[in-house]
Amino acid sequence: MMDVERFEELAALNALDMLENDEKRALDGAIARDKEVRTLALELEQTTAELAYLIQPVEPPADMKKRIRAKMRARGIKGAGISRGVVIGGIGWALAACFAMASVWLWREQAGLTQQLAAASRAIAPVNPTTPMVDDGKTRTLEEELRKRRDEFEAQKKALATEIESLNKREAETKAQNARLTAEVAALKEQEQQSQLQIATLQSKVWEYRKSEMLVVWDQKRGQGVVMLEKMPKVESDKDYQLWVVDPSKPNPVSAGVVTVDSKGSVKATFKPVEAVTGEAKFALSVEKKGGVPKSEGQLLMVGP
Amino acid sequence: MSQPELSEEDLLQRAGRGDSRAFDQLYDRMAPRLFGLLRQMLHDEREAEDILQDGFVLLWERASTFDPDRSKAFTWAVMLFRHKAIDRMRMLGRRNRLVDSAALEQTTLGAASPPGVDEEVRAHERVLVVGKALNELPKEQRQLIEFAFLKGLTHHVIAESLGIPLGTVKTNIRRGLLRLRDLLKGGA
Repeated sequence: MMDVERFEELAALNALDMLENDEKRALDGAIARDKEVRTLALELEQTTAELAYLIQPVEPPADMKKRIRAKMRARGIKGAGISRGVVIGGIGWALAACFAMASVWLWREQAGLTQQLAAASRAIAPVNPTTPMVDDGKTRTLEEELRKRRDEFEAQKKALATEIESLNKREAETKAQNARLTAEVAALKEQEQQSQLQIATLQSKVWEYRKSEMLVVWDQKRGQGVVMLEKMPKVESDKDYQLWVVDPSKPNPVSAGVVTVDSKGSVKATFKPVEAVTGEAKFALSVEKKGGVPKSEGQLLMVGP
Repeated sequence: MSQPELSEEDLLQRAGRGDSRAFDQLYDRMAPRLFGLLRQMLHDEREAEDILQDGFVLLWERASTFDPDRSKAFTWAVMLFRHKAIDRMRMLGRRNRLVDSAALEQTTLGAASPPGVDEEVRAHERVLVVGKALNELPKEQRQLIEFAFLKGLTHHVIAESLGIPLGTVKTNIRRGLLRLRDLLKGGA
């Protein structure tokens, strides 16, 4: 019986928000455990709320509805006057989602701070109720802290908006660059289709060059190519390797320039014959005087294909 | 040809499903009574406006949790706004002291005139029912409940402020609210 009265009292005081912290905890525990206490607490809360029917209505400021909507927008809340289910494509959607999530997070952070401040006020409530729970100094401190955190929140929101703007700009730039690269790749593909590449491997019947490797990639259309040499023996200091393009329409091989190999006997170099080559080309390598000669004087060491 | 008015419960449920027009109508119907309540509780026009603004944002967010089988839309909203007002009072350090010299006699309900629009017949009826029920309570119970409802103070502070023993405050509040509940349910 005593328990019933005790919980009726707690539920009644709770309905009017009159409980101290420890009493509130005791009631919350009973509500969680006992369905009857839960029902009683709810009934009394509703009974109390009905008293508001007796309040003299007062018209709020005319712009209040606008202010509520503005607050919703500021908090990124989907709501009155704000379209639900707006579809934004691609990265823009992701950015918008990030912005919305960040705004909600920031809003929650702010709400959490408000609650923390309220909880802090409760926590420092004195045992003696005649003493103010929060004196003016503390109140001012809490208000200042809240204002400071609100300012921080606004600053974070502004920074985020700036960042999103910057990301949007970068997204546009990336799209433009992507378009340029796509066009370039298309042009290269077209060039590749139009080019007439010939790949030739050269071999030598000379004993010293039996292990040497020579590969020529020749672009007939452009009249230029790439030569790659491996495992080439060293030439005397006053000699150079010289590359020749053998054009069947010409009486003599056309010089494609001197090729200098490194200490390992390797080289990769582009070449362009000194004269235009029109027929189906063959390639040859010889050892010539240092700096090369206009007309081959030495033995053709490698020939191909 | 006017369309039948939706109840506040319907409007609140629609708002919970994202119907901004329903939210607008709900605001038009409830805001004056809620603003009146906040002004009486906070004694500060600007604070009352702030809480009204925040409260309606919260109402929009929580509307989907409203259960018409458990409460009326208006009482649901009152609980939400009143809790917000008490939180603000707590934050401002007003909860544990009487910031004005309002005496028990100066804090009364029942001065409300019924809403003046036809579509609020239900609210009108409820004003009469609640007013009648409250008047049936013994004076000491009625005044304490009205004072507690509007001031948002703890029972210790009320006892101290009014010079009434704490046990008497608790007992009168308990008995008064239980009786009020029974009267509002239609009991004797």
